[in-house]
Amino acid sequence: MMRASGYVVLLSLCLVAPFSRAAAQGDPRLERLDEATRPVVVALIDTARAVGLPVNPLVERALEGAIKGAPGATIATAVRRLAADLGRARDALGSGASPVELDAGAAALRAGAGPDVLTRLRRARGHRPVTMALAVLTDLVARGVPIDTATTAVLTLAATARDEDLVDFRRAVERDIAIGAPPAAAASIRVNAAAREARPGRP
Amino acid sequence: MTLGTSSRAALHAAAWSLLAARGIAAQTTATVDVGASTVRYDGFLPSGAASVTPAATWTRPGATLIARGSYLRFESGHRSLEGLIAASLFTPPALLPDGWRGEVTVSGGGSSYADFASFWHATGEARLHFVAPGRGAWMGATAGRTSYGSAARPVAVAGIGGWARRGWLMLTASASRSFIGDTAYTDVESTAEVGAGAWGLHGSVGARISSRGGGHGVYGAGEATRALSQRIAVFVSGGRYPTDPVSGSVAGRYLTVGVRIRNPTPRRPPTWDPVQRGRAPAAADGEATLAPQIEIRPAGDRGVRLLVRAPGASSVELAADFTDWHPVMLERVMEEGAWQLLLPVASGLHRLNVRIDGGKWIAPAGTTRSADEFGSEVGIVAVP
Repeated sequence: MMRASGYVVLLSLCLVAPFSRAAAQGDPRLERLDEATRPVVVALIDTARAVGLPVNPLVERALEGAIKGAPGATIATAVRRLAADLGRARDALGSGASPVELDAGAAALRAGAGPDVLTRLRRARGHRPVTMALAVLTDLVARGVPIDTATTAVLTLAATARDEDLVDFRRAVERDIAIGAPPAAAASIRVNAAAREARPGRP
Repeated sequence: MTLGTSSRAALHAAAWSLLAARGIAAQTTATVDVGASTVRYDGFLPSGAASVTPAATWTRPGATLIARGSYLRFESGHRSLEGLIAASLFTPPALLPDGWRGEVTVSGGGSSYADFASFWHATGEARLHFVAPGRGAWMGATAGRTSYGSAARPVAVAGIGGWARRGWLMLTASASRSFIGDTAYTDVESTAEVGAGAWGLHGSVGARISSRGGGHGVYGAGEATRALSQRIAVFVSGGRYPTDPVSGSVAGRYLTVGVRIRNPTPRRPPTWDPVQRGRAPAAADGEATLAPQIEIRPAGDRGVRLLVRAPGASSVELAADFTDWHPVMLERVMEEGAWQLLLPVASGLHRLNVRIDGGKWIAPAGTTRSADEFGSEVGIVAVP
Protein backbone atom coordinates (compact mmCIF):
# COMPACT_ATOMS: atom_id res chain seq x y z
CA MET A 1 0.00 0.00 0.00
CA MET A 2 1.39 3.38 -0.98
CA ARG A 3 1.65 5.85 1.86
CA ALA A 4 0.26 9.36 1.68
CA SER A 5 3.55 10.97 0.71
CA GLY A 6 3.95 8.39 -2.04
CA TYR A 7 0.66 9.57 -3.46
CA VAL A 8 1.85 13.15 -3.13
CA VAL A 9 4.91 12.34 -5.21
CA LEU A 10 2.85 10.61 -7.86
CA LEU A 11 0.24 13.35 -7.89
CA SER A 12 2.92 15.99 -8.13
CA LEU A 13 4.49 14.18 -11.06
CA CYS A 14 1.17 14.01 -12.84
CA LEU A 15 -0.06 17.52 -12.15
CA VAL A 16 2.94 19.73 -11.70
CA ALA A 17 5.36 18.19 -14.16
CA PRO A 18 3.67 19.35 -17.33
CA PHE A 19 3.99 22.98 -16.19
CA SER A 20 7.46 22.76 -14.74
CA ARG A 21 10.44 24.55 -16.16
CA ALA A 22 13.51 22.57 -15.62
CA ALA A 23 16.78 23.15 -14.02
CA ALA A 24 17.34 19.68 -15.42
CA GLN A 25 17.45 21.26 -18.84
CA GLY A 26 20.98 22.09 -17.83
CA ASP A 27 21.85 18.42 -17.57
CA PRO A 28 23.67 17.80 -20.84
CA ARG A 29 22.95 14.09 -20.69
CA LEU A 30 19.31 14.75 -21.48
CA GLU A 31 20.31 16.25 -24.82
CA ARG A 32 20.33 12.66 -26.00
CA LEU A 33 16.54 12.53 -25.77
CA ASP A 34 14.57 13.63 -28.79
CA GLU A 35 13.05 17.07 -28.76
CA ALA A 36 9.53 15.88 -28.08
CA THR A 37 10.48 13.66 -25.16
CA ARG A 38 13.06 15.89 -23.48
CA PRO A 39 10.68 18.54 -22.05
CA VAL A 40 8.38 15.90 -20.59
CA VAL A 41 11.23 14.06 -18.91
CA VAL A 42 12.85 17.29 -17.75
CA ALA A 43 9.58 18.35 -16.15
CA LEU A 44 9.24 15.00 -14.38
CA ILE A 45 12.79 15.21 -13.11
CA ASP A 46 12.40 18.77 -11.88
CA THR A 47 9.25 17.85 -10.04
CA ALA A 48 11.01 14.90 -8.42
CA ARG A 49 13.84 17.20 -7.40
CA ALA A 50 11.34 19.65 -5.91
CA VAL A 51 10.03 16.97 -3.59
CA GLY A 52 13.55 15.96 -2.60
CA LEU A 53 13.97 12.78 -4.59
CA PRO A 54 17.30 11.82 -6.16
CA VAL A 55 17.21 12.65 -9.84
CA ASN A 56 20.18 10.72 -11.16
CA PRO A 57 18.31 7.38 -11.28
CA LEU A 58 15.56 9.14 -13.25
CA VAL A 59 18.04 10.57 -15.74
CA GLU A 60 19.64 7.15 -16.07
CA ARG A 61 16.30 5.47 -16.72
CA ALA A 62 15.49 7.98 -19.44
CA LEU A 63 18.90 7.45 -21.03
CA GLU A 64 18.41 3.68 -20.92
CA GLY A 65 15.15 4.10 -22.80
CA ALA A 66 16.83 6.41 -25.30
CA ILE A 67 19.69 4.06 -26.10
CA LYS A 68 17.20 1.25 -26.63
CA GLY A 69 15.17 3.35 -29.00
CA ALA A 70 12.02 3.36 -26.86
CA PRO A 71 9.19 5.74 -27.79
CA GLY A 72 9.04 8.98 -25.85
CA ALA A 73 5.80 8.07 -24.10
CA THR A 74 7.33 4.81 -22.86
CA ILE A 75 10.36 6.63 -21.55
CA ALA A 76 8.19 9.16 -19.74
CA THR A 77 6.09 6.38 -18.21
CA ALA A 78 9.20 4.59 -17.01
CA VAL A 79 10.61 7.75 -15.44
CA ARG A 80 7.30 8.60 -13.80
CA ARG A 81 6.97 5.11 -12.38
CA LEU A 82 10.51 5.11 -11.04
CA ALA A 83 9.93 8.49 -9.38
CA ALA A 84 6.84 7.11 -7.67
CA ASP A 85 8.84 4.08 -6.48
CA LEU A 86 11.61 6.31 -5.17
CA GLY A 87 8.99 8.20 -3.20
CA ARG A 88 7.61 5.00 -1.72
CA ALA A 89 11.12 3.83 -0.92
CA ARG A 90 11.82 7.08 0.92
CA ASP A 91 8.63 6.66 2.91
CA ALA A 92 9.72 3.19 3.91
CA LEU A 93 13.43 3.82 4.50
CA GLY A 94 13.15 7.25 6.06
CA SER A 95 14.15 10.69 4.93
CA GLY A 96 17.78 10.04 5.85
CA ALA A 97 18.16 7.33 3.21
CA SER A 98 20.91 7.97 0.70
CA PRO A 99 20.14 8.28 -3.02
CA VAL A 100 21.77 4.89 -3.64
CA GLU A 101 19.62 3.31 -0.95
CA LEU A 102 16.49 4.85 -2.44
CA ASP A 103 17.43 3.54 -5.87
CA ALA A 104 17.91 0.03 -4.45
CA GLY A 105 14.70 0.39 -2.46
CA ALA A 106 12.76 1.34 -5.58
CA ALA A 107 14.08 -1.75 -7.34
CA ALA A 108 13.08 -3.95 -4.40
CA LEU A 109 9.58 -2.48 -4.39
CA ARG A 110 9.33 -3.10 -8.12
CA ALA A 111 10.40 -6.71 -7.49
CA GLY A 112 7.45 -7.15 -5.17
CA ALA A 113 8.82 -6.40 -1.70
CA GLY A 114 6.36 -4.53 0.47
CA PRO A 115 7.31 -1.18 2.03
CA ASP A 116 7.25 -2.89 5.42
CA VAL A 117 10.09 -5.12 4.28
CA LEU A 118 12.20 -2.06 3.50
CA THR A 119 11.38 -0.61 6.89
CA ARG A 120 12.29 -3.84 8.68
CA LEU A 121 15.55 -4.09 6.74
CA ARG A 122 16.41 -0.52 7.68
CA ARG A 123 15.71 -1.31 11.31
CA ALA A 124 17.73 -4.52 11.17
CA ARG A 125 20.75 -2.86 9.55
CA GLY A 126 20.78 0.03 12.01
CA HIS A 127 23.19 2.73 10.85
CA ARG A 128 24.81 0.55 8.23
CA PRO A 129 23.83 1.03 4.58
CA VAL A 130 20.91 -1.05 3.46
CA THR A 131 21.84 -0.90 -0.23
CA MET A 132 23.41 -4.32 -0.61
CA ALA A 133 20.70 -6.06 1.41
CA LEU A 134 18.10 -4.57 -0.91
CA ALA A 135 20.18 -5.41 -3.97
CA VAL A 136 20.51 -9.04 -2.90
CA LEU A 137 16.80 -9.24 -2.12
CA THR A 138 15.92 -7.92 -5.59
CA ASP A 139 18.40 -10.23 -7.25
CA LEU A 140 17.04 -13.31 -5.47
CA VAL A 141 13.50 -12.51 -6.55
CA ALA A 142 14.63 -12.02 -10.13
CA ARG A 143 16.26 -15.46 -9.96
CA GLY A 144 12.95 -17.05 -9.07
CA VAL A 145 13.08 -17.13 -5.28
CA PRO A 146 9.59 -16.33 -3.96
CA ILE A 147 9.48 -12.89 -2.43
CA ASP A 148 8.50 -14.17 1.02
CA THR A 149 11.36 -16.64 1.07
CA ALA A 150 13.87 -14.09 -0.18
CA THR A 151 12.64 -11.58 2.37
CA THR A 152 12.90 -14.06 5.22
CA ALA A 153 16.41 -15.07 4.19
CA VAL A 154 17.71 -11.53 3.85
CA LEU A 155 16.00 -10.35 7.02
CA THR A 156 17.48 -13.29 8.92
CA LEU A 157 20.97 -12.28 7.83
CA ALA A 158 20.54 -8.53 7.82
CA ALA A 159 21.07 -7.86 11.49
CA THR A 160 24.62 -9.18 11.64
CA ALA A 161 25.78 -9.74 8.07
CA ARG A 162 28.38 -7.62 6.36
CA ASP A 163 27.79 -6.65 2.75
CA GLU A 164 30.34 -9.29 1.73
CA ASP A 165 28.32 -11.93 3.60
CA LEU A 166 25.21 -10.94 1.71
CA VAL A 167 27.02 -11.14 -1.62
CA ASP A 168 28.42 -14.56 -0.65
CA PHE A 169 24.94 -15.69 0.25
CA ARG A 170 23.61 -14.55 -3.11
CA ARG A 171 26.41 -16.40 -4.92
CA ALA A 172 25.71 -19.58 -2.98
CA VAL A 173 22.05 -19.40 -3.92
CA GLU A 174 22.97 -18.75 -7.56
CA ARG A 175 25.25 -21.80 -7.61
CA ASP A 176 22.68 -24.03 -5.92
CA ILE A 177 20.09 -23.05 -8.49
CA ALA A 178 22.59 -23.72 -11.28
CA ILE A 179 23.12 -27.32 -10.16
CA GLY A 180 19.49 -28.11 -9.68
CA ALA A 181 18.15 -26.76 -6.39
CA PRO A 182 14.75 -25.11 -6.39
CA PRO A 183 15.33 -21.36 -5.97
CA ALA A 184 13.19 -21.22 -2.86
CA ALA A 185 15.03 -24.08 -1.21
CA ALA A 186 18.39 -22.65 -2.23
CA ALA A 187 17.62 -19.50 -0.28
CA SER A 188 16.31 -21.33 2.76
CA ILE A 189 18.06 -22.97 5.64
CA ARG A 190 20.92 -24.96 4.19
CA VAL A 191 20.48 -28.18 6.13
CA ASN A 192 16.77 -28.68 5.81
CA ALA A 193 15.98 -32.00 7.48
CA ALA A 194 13.69 -33.11 4.68
CA ALA A 195 16.29 -32.55 1.97
CA ARG A 196 19.43 -33.90 3.55
CA GLU A 197 19.36 -37.38 2.03
CA ALA A 198 18.99 -36.36 -1.59
CA ARG A 199 22.44 -37.12 -3.01
CA PRO A 200 22.41 -38.16 -6.64
CA GLY A 201 23.70 -41.46 -7.83
CA ARG A 202 23.55 -43.52 -4.67
CA PRO A 203 21.93 -46.86 -5.55
CA MET B 1 7.97 -58.64 -7.22
CA THR B 2 5.65 -57.51 -4.47
CA LEU B 3 5.41 -54.06 -3.07
CA GLY B 4 4.14 -53.36 0.43
CA THR B 5 1.11 -51.11 0.80
CA SER B 6 3.19 -48.31 2.22
CA SER B 7 5.73 -48.58 -0.59
CA ARG B 8 2.99 -48.36 -3.18
CA ALA B 9 1.51 -45.38 -1.41
CA ALA B 10 4.87 -43.63 -1.29
CA LEU B 11 5.59 -44.23 -4.94
CA HIS B 12 2.08 -43.28 -5.94
CA ALA B 13 2.43 -40.01 -4.08
CA ALA B 14 5.86 -39.38 -5.61
CA ALA B 15 4.52 -39.95 -9.08
CA TRP B 16 1.51 -37.77 -8.38
CA SER B 17 3.76 -34.97 -7.18
CA LEU B 18 5.77 -35.11 -10.38
CA LEU B 19 2.71 -35.12 -12.59
CA ALA B 20 1.12 -32.31 -10.65
CA ALA B 21 4.27 -30.21 -10.59
CA ARG B 22 3.11 -27.67 -13.10
CA GLY B 23 -0.31 -27.37 -11.55
CA ILE B 24 0.78 -26.28 -8.11
CA ALA B 25 0.90 -22.57 -7.57
CA ALA B 26 3.89 -22.69 -5.21
CA GLN B 27 7.39 -23.21 -6.54
CA THR B 28 7.97 -26.75 -7.67
CA THR B 29 11.11 -28.32 -9.01
CA ALA B 30 11.08 -31.74 -10.58
CA THR B 31 14.17 -33.70 -11.52
CA VAL B 32 14.85 -37.08 -13.00
CA ASP B 33 18.24 -38.70 -12.53
CA VAL B 34 19.09 -41.45 -14.97
CA GLY B 35 22.25 -43.35 -14.20
CA ALA B 36 24.34 -46.43 -14.64
CA SER B 37 25.99 -47.86 -11.56
CA THR B 38 28.24 -50.55 -10.39
CA VAL B 39 27.35 -51.50 -6.85
CA ARG B 40 28.54 -54.03 -4.33
CA TYR B 41 26.36 -54.47 -1.28
CA ASP B 42 28.11 -55.98 1.73
CA GLY B 43 27.93 -59.74 1.51
CA PHE B 44 26.87 -59.75 -2.15
CA LEU B 45 28.72 -59.98 -5.45
CA PRO B 46 29.26 -56.77 -7.41
CA SER B 47 26.59 -55.96 -9.93
CA GLY B 48 25.83 -53.43 -12.60
CA ALA B 49 22.58 -51.55 -12.32
CA ALA B 50 20.58 -48.99 -14.19
CA SER B 51 18.63 -46.46 -12.18
CA VAL B 52 15.90 -43.91 -12.66
CA THR B 53 15.30 -41.52 -9.79
CA PRO B 54 12.49 -39.00 -10.12
CA ALA B 55 12.14 -36.37 -7.44
CA ALA B 56 9.95 -33.38 -6.85
CA THR B 57 10.38 -30.58 -4.37
CA TRP B 58 7.51 -28.27 -3.61
CA THR B 59 8.45 -25.19 -1.70
CA ARG B 60 6.52 -22.45 -0.06
CA PRO B 61 7.89 -19.90 2.35
CA GLY B 62 8.34 -21.88 5.52
CA ALA B 63 7.37 -25.24 4.06
CA THR B 64 8.99 -27.89 1.91
CA LEU B 65 7.57 -31.11 0.54
CA ILE B 66 9.88 -33.61 -1.10
CA ALA B 67 8.82 -36.74 -2.92
CA ARG B 68 11.37 -39.06 -4.37
CA GLY B 69 11.32 -42.46 -5.93
CA SER B 70 14.04 -44.75 -7.20
CA TYR B 71 13.93 -47.68 -9.56
CA LEU B 72 16.97 -49.93 -9.91
CA ARG B 73 17.36 -52.83 -12.25
CA PHE B 74 20.32 -55.10 -11.61
CA GLU B 75 22.26 -57.35 -13.96
CA SER B 76 20.48 -60.32 -12.47
CA GLY B 77 17.15 -58.94 -13.60
CA HIS B 78 16.10 -58.20 -10.04
CA ARG B 79 14.53 -54.87 -9.36
CA SER B 80 14.57 -52.53 -6.40
CA LEU B 81 12.00 -49.85 -5.74
CA GLU B 82 12.15 -47.11 -3.15
CA GLY B 83 9.95 -44.16 -2.38
CA LEU B 84 10.11 -41.36 0.14
CA ILE B 85 7.98 -38.40 1.05
CA ALA B 86 9.17 -35.80 3.53
CA ALA B 87 7.58 -32.55 4.54
CA SER B 88 9.09 -29.75 6.61
CA LEU B 89 7.40 -26.83 8.25
CA PHE B 90 9.45 -23.92 9.57
CA THR B 91 8.35 -21.58 12.30
CA PRO B 92 7.65 -17.99 11.21
CA PRO B 93 10.66 -15.67 11.73
CA ALA B 94 8.78 -13.59 14.29
CA LEU B 95 8.03 -16.55 16.56
CA LEU B 96 11.57 -17.06 17.84
CA PRO B 97 14.40 -14.61 18.54
CA ASP B 98 16.46 -13.31 15.62
CA GLY B 99 18.40 -16.07 13.92
CA TRP B 100 16.45 -18.98 15.43
CA ARG B 101 14.06 -21.12 13.41
CA GLY B 102 12.17 -24.22 14.39
CA GLU B 103 11.48 -27.03 11.93
CA VAL B 104 9.16 -30.00 12.12
CA THR B 105 9.58 -32.75 9.57
CA VAL B 106 7.53 -35.84 8.92
CA SER B 107 8.68 -38.47 6.48
CA GLY B 108 7.50 -41.80 5.31
CA GLY B 109 8.81 -44.24 2.80
CA GLY B 110 9.14 -47.76 1.68
CA SER B 111 11.49 -49.94 -0.28
CA SER B 112 11.37 -53.31 -1.85
CA TYR B 113 14.07 -55.55 -3.32
CA ALA B 114 13.16 -58.47 -5.61
CA ASP B 115 10.33 -60.39 -3.97
CA PHE B 116 11.74 -61.04 -0.56
CA ALA B 117 12.67 -57.81 1.21
CA SER B 118 10.41 -54.87 1.87
CA PHE B 119 10.67 -52.05 4.35
CA TRP B 120 8.58 -49.12 5.40
CA HIS B 121 9.20 -46.34 7.85
CA ALA B 122 7.39 -43.33 9.23
CA THR B 123 9.20 -40.78 11.35
CA GLY B 124 8.80 -37.29 12.72
CA GLU B 125 11.66 -34.95 13.53
CA ALA B 126 11.89 -31.64 15.33
CA ARG B 127 14.88 -29.37 14.79
CA LEU B 128 15.95 -26.08 16.22
CA HIS B 129 18.15 -24.07 13.87
CA PHE B 130 20.39 -21.14 14.58
CA VAL B 131 21.31 -19.21 11.46
CA ALA B 132 23.97 -16.51 11.29
CA PRO B 133 25.82 -15.01 8.32
CA GLY B 134 27.80 -17.81 6.76
CA ARG B 135 27.20 -20.35 9.49
CA GLY B 136 24.52 -22.15 11.41
CA ALA B 137 23.81 -24.98 13.79
CA TRP B 138 20.95 -27.24 14.65
CA MET B 139 19.87 -29.83 17.13
CA GLY B 140 17.08 -32.28 16.62
CA ALA B 141 15.26 -35.38 17.71
CA THR B 142 13.45 -38.02 15.66
CA ALA B 143 10.86 -40.59 16.65
CA GLY B 144 8.92 -43.08 14.62
CA ARG B 145 8.54 -46.65 13.48
CA THR B 146 10.21 -48.84 10.93
CA SER B 147 9.37 -52.32 9.76
CA TYR B 148 11.11 -55.11 7.93
CA GLY B 149 8.51 -57.67 7.08
CA SER B 150 7.34 -58.40 10.60
CA ALA B 151 6.46 -56.25 13.57
CA ALA B 152 7.40 -52.60 13.48
CA ARG B 153 10.30 -51.41 15.61
CA PRO B 154 10.52 -48.05 17.34
CA VAL B 155 12.96 -45.44 16.02
CA ALA B 156 14.56 -42.75 18.16
CA VAL B 157 17.40 -40.50 17.01
CA ALA B 158 19.04 -37.48 18.62
CA GLY B 159 21.40 -35.32 16.60
CA ILE B 160 23.36 -32.11 16.46
CA GLY B 161 25.03 -30.41 13.56
CA GLY B 162 26.62 -27.26 12.28
CA TRP B 163 27.54 -25.68 8.96
CA ALA B 164 29.76 -22.89 7.76
CA ARG B 165 30.17 -21.28 4.41
CA ARG B 166 33.22 -19.38 3.16
CA GLY B 167 33.02 -18.22 -0.40
CA TRP B 168 32.50 -21.25 -2.60
CA LEU B 169 33.06 -23.73 0.23
CA MET B 170 30.42 -25.08 2.55
CA LEU B 171 31.27 -27.41 5.41
CA THR B 172 28.95 -29.35 7.66
CA ALA B 173 29.51 -31.60 10.63
CA SER B 174 26.96 -33.67 12.47
CA ALA B 175 26.64 -36.39 15.03
CA SER B 176 23.67 -38.56 15.85
CA ARG B 177 22.80 -41.43 18.12
CA SER B 178 20.16 -43.83 16.81
CA PHE B 179 18.07 -46.49 18.51
CA ILE B 180 16.06 -48.83 16.28
CA GLY B 181 14.58 -51.61 18.34
CA ASP B 182 17.54 -53.45 19.88
CA THR B 183 19.98 -51.81 17.47
CA ALA B 184 21.91 -48.74 18.55
CA TYR B 185 24.74 -46.80 16.94
CA THR B 186 26.37 -43.41 16.67
CA ASP B 187 27.22 -41.73 13.36
CA VAL B 188 29.60 -38.81 13.05
CA GLU B 189 29.84 -37.22 9.65
CA SER B 190 31.27 -34.21 7.91
CA THR B 191 30.70 -32.93 4.41
CA ALA B 192 32.35 -30.39 2.16
CA GLU B 193 30.71 -28.77 -0.80
CA VAL B 194 32.47 -26.62 -3.34
CA GLY B 195 30.82 -24.83 -6.18
CA ALA B 196 32.08 -22.54 -8.89
CA GLY B 197 30.12 -21.62 -11.94
CA ALA B 198 28.47 -24.68 -13.38
CA TRP B 199 30.50 -27.08 -11.23
CA GLY B 200 29.47 -28.55 -7.94
CA LEU B 201 31.62 -30.90 -5.89
CA HIS B 202 30.43 -32.68 -2.79
CA GLY B 203 32.32 -34.98 -0.48
CA SER B 204 31.42 -36.64 2.77
CA VAL B 205 33.21 -38.78 5.28
CA GLY B 206 31.78 -40.41 8.35
CA ALA B 207 32.20 -43.14 10.87
CA ARG B 208 29.83 -45.45 12.68
CA ILE B 209 30.92 -46.02 16.23
CA SER B 210 29.54 -47.35 19.49
CA SER B 211 27.39 -49.72 17.52
CA ARG B 212 25.25 -52.59 18.74
CA GLY B 213 23.91 -54.42 15.71
CA GLY B 214 24.34 -51.52 13.28
CA GLY B 215 27.82 -52.28 11.99
CA HIS B 216 31.06 -50.35 12.42
CA GLY B 217 33.40 -48.58 10.11
CA VAL B 218 34.27 -45.56 8.08
CA TYR B 219 32.28 -44.50 5.07
CA GLY B 220 32.39 -41.68 2.59
CA ALA B 221 31.26 -40.56 -0.81
CA GLY B 222 32.09 -37.99 -3.45
CA GLU B 223 30.16 -36.47 -6.24
CA ALA B 224 30.82 -34.02 -9.06
CA THR B 225 28.02 -32.26 -10.90
CA ARG B 226 28.41 -30.22 -14.04
CA ALA B 227 25.49 -28.15 -15.27
CA LEU B 228 25.35 -28.25 -19.06
CA SER B 229 22.41 -25.89 -19.27
CA GLN B 230 19.74 -24.66 -16.95
CA ARG B 231 17.90 -27.96 -17.28
CA ILE B 232 20.54 -30.61 -17.75
CA ALA B 233 23.46 -31.63 -15.59
CA VAL B 234 25.75 -34.62 -15.59
CA PHE B 235 27.15 -36.18 -12.47
CA VAL B 236 29.51 -38.84 -11.32
CA SER B 237 29.39 -40.12 -7.79
CA GLY B 238 30.83 -42.95 -5.81
CA GLY B 239 31.73 -44.15 -2.38
CA ARG B 240 30.60 -46.30 0.46
CA TYR B 241 27.60 -45.82 2.69
CA PRO B 242 26.56 -47.60 5.88
CA THR B 243 23.52 -49.69 6.58
CA ASP B 244 20.48 -47.60 7.38
CA PRO B 245 18.17 -49.68 9.56
CA VAL B 246 15.47 -47.01 9.36
CA SER B 247 15.02 -46.95 5.59
CA GLY B 248 16.25 -50.49 5.04
CA SER B 249 19.26 -49.74 2.85
CA VAL B 250 22.15 -52.20 3.08
CA ALA B 251 25.75 -51.00 3.31
CA GLY B 252 27.51 -50.96 -0.01
CA ARG B 253 30.02 -49.44 -2.38
CA TYR B 254 28.99 -47.80 -5.62
CA LEU B 255 30.06 -45.78 -8.61
CA THR B 256 27.44 -44.03 -10.69
CA VAL B 257 27.51 -41.92 -13.84
CA GLY B 258 24.32 -40.17 -14.73
CA VAL B 259 22.42 -37.25 -16.08
CA ARG B 260 19.96 -35.04 -14.24
CA ILE B 261 17.10 -33.42 -16.10
CA ARG B 262 15.00 -30.81 -14.40
CA ASN B 263 11.97 -28.73 -15.14
CA PRO B 264 12.46 -25.07 -16.08
CA THR B 265 13.53 -22.79 -13.26
CA PRO B 266 10.69 -20.48 -12.37
CA ARG B 267 11.94 -16.95 -12.86
CA ARG B 268 10.12 -13.70 -12.61
CA PRO B 269 11.15 -10.37 -14.01
CA PRO B 270 11.56 -7.81 -11.24
CA THR B 271 8.73 -5.70 -12.44
CA TRP B 272 5.08 -5.63 -11.66
CA ASP B 273 4.35 -3.52 -14.64
CA PRO B 274 1.10 -4.93 -16.04
CA VAL B 275 2.38 -4.25 -19.53
CA GLN B 276 5.33 -6.53 -18.87
CA ARG B 277 3.51 -9.21 -16.92
CA GLY B 278 2.36 -11.09 -19.94
CA ARG B 279 5.83 -11.40 -21.40
CA ALA B 280 7.81 -14.56 -21.11
CA PRO B 281 10.37 -14.22 -18.36
CA ALA B 282 13.73 -13.12 -19.53
CA ALA B 283 16.44 -15.68 -19.87
CA ALA B 284 14.08 -18.55 -20.30
CA ASP B 285 15.47 -21.99 -20.76
CA GLY B 286 16.89 -22.94 -24.06
CA GLU B 287 19.10 -19.88 -24.25
CA ALA B 288 21.87 -20.02 -26.78
CA THR B 289 24.95 -21.51 -25.23
CA LEU B 290 27.14 -19.06 -27.15
CA ALA B 291 25.39 -16.02 -25.71
CA PRO B 292 27.89 -13.50 -24.37
CA GLN B 293 28.72 -13.95 -20.73
CA ILE B 294 29.95 -11.27 -18.38
CA GLU B 295 32.05 -11.56 -15.25
CA ILE B 296 32.61 -8.69 -12.88
CA ARG B 297 35.71 -8.83 -10.74
CA PRO B 298 37.27 -6.38 -8.32
CA ALA B 299 40.23 -4.53 -9.81
CA GLY B 300 41.58 -2.72 -6.76
CA ASP B 301 41.88 1.04 -7.09
CA ARG B 302 40.78 0.90 -10.69
CA GLY B 303 37.28 -0.18 -9.73
CA VAL B 304 36.00 -3.34 -11.36
CA ARG B 305 37.03 -5.39 -14.35
CA LEU B 306 34.19 -6.32 -16.65
CA LEU B 307 35.11 -9.36 -18.69
CA VAL B 308 32.81 -10.38 -21.52
CA ARG B 309 33.23 -13.71 -23.28
CA ALA B 310 31.82 -13.46 -26.78
CA PRO B 311 33.42 -16.03 -29.08
CA GLY B 312 33.49 -14.92 -32.68
CA ALA B 313 32.65 -11.29 -31.96
CA SER B 314 34.39 -8.50 -33.86
CA SER B 315 33.34 -5.80 -31.43
CA VAL B 316 31.75 -5.73 -27.99
CA GLU B 317 30.14 -2.65 -26.45
CA LEU B 318 28.67 -2.15 -23.03
CA ALA B 319 26.14 0.42 -21.88
CA ALA B 320 25.10 0.71 -18.26
CA ASP B 321 23.88 3.13 -15.68
CA PHE B 322 27.52 3.55 -14.62
CA THR B 323 28.43 4.68 -18.15
CA ASP B 324 25.42 7.01 -18.25
CA TRP B 325 24.16 4.61 -20.92
CA HIS B 326 26.89 5.71 -23.29
CA PRO B 327 28.11 2.77 -25.36
CA VAL B 328 31.66 1.95 -24.33
CA MET B 329 33.83 -0.26 -26.52
CA LEU B 330 35.56 -3.14 -24.74
CA GLU B 331 39.15 -4.11 -25.47
CA ARG B 332 40.04 -7.53 -26.77
CA VAL B 333 42.25 -9.46 -24.37
CA MET B 334 44.63 -12.32 -24.99
CA GLU B 335 42.14 -14.97 -23.96
CA GLU B 336 40.25 -16.27 -26.96
CA GLY B 337 36.90 -14.57 -27.38
CA ALA B 338 37.29 -12.39 -24.28
CA TRP B 339 36.86 -8.63 -24.02
CA GLN B 340 37.37 -6.40 -21.03
CA LEU B 341 36.77 -2.99 -19.57
CA LEU B 342 38.07 -1.40 -16.38
CA LEU B 343 35.75 1.11 -14.76
CA PRO B 344 35.04 2.61 -11.38
CA VAL B 345 31.64 1.29 -10.34
CA ALA B 346 29.91 2.21 -7.09
CA SER B 347 28.65 -0.49 -4.77
CA GLY B 348 25.02 -1.40 -5.31
CA LEU B 349 22.62 -2.69 -7.89
CA HIS B 350 23.40 -1.79 -11.51
CA ARG B 351 21.70 -2.23 -14.87
CA LEU B 352 23.66 -3.03 -18.01
CA ASN B 353 23.43 -4.31 -21.56
CA VAL B 354 26.00 -5.41 -24.12
CA ARG B 355 26.00 -5.26 -27.90
CA ILE B 356 27.89 -7.60 -30.19
CA ASP B 357 29.04 -6.37 -33.60
CA GLY B 358 26.69 -3.40 -33.46
CA GLY B 359 23.61 -5.60 -33.10
CA LYS B 360 20.77 -5.41 -30.60
CA TRP B 361 21.38 -4.51 -26.95
CA ILE B 362 21.10 -7.70 -24.94
CA ALA B 363 21.38 -8.78 -21.34
CA PRO B 364 24.40 -11.07 -21.09
CA ALA B 365 24.59 -14.30 -19.15
CA GLY B 366 26.20 -13.78 -15.78
CA THR B 367 23.67 -11.13 -14.87
CA THR B 368 20.19 -11.48 -13.48
CA ARG B 369 18.28 -10.88 -16.67
CA SER B 370 15.00 -9.12 -16.42
CA ALA B 371 12.40 -7.49 -18.58
CA ASP B 372 13.08 -3.78 -18.71
CA GLU B 373 10.34 -1.22 -19.29
CA PHE B 374 11.27 -0.69 -22.91
CA GLY B 375 10.26 -3.97 -24.45
CA SER B 376 13.63 -5.68 -24.12
CA GLU B 377 15.88 -7.07 -21.40
CA VAL B 378 18.34 -5.59 -18.99
CA GLY B 379 21.02 -7.35 -16.99
CA ILE B 380 21.12 -6.61 -13.28
CA VAL B 381 24.26 -7.04 -11.24
CA ALA B 382 25.04 -6.43 -7.59
CA VAL B 383 28.49 -4.93 -7.12
CA PRO B 384 29.84 -5.25 -3.56
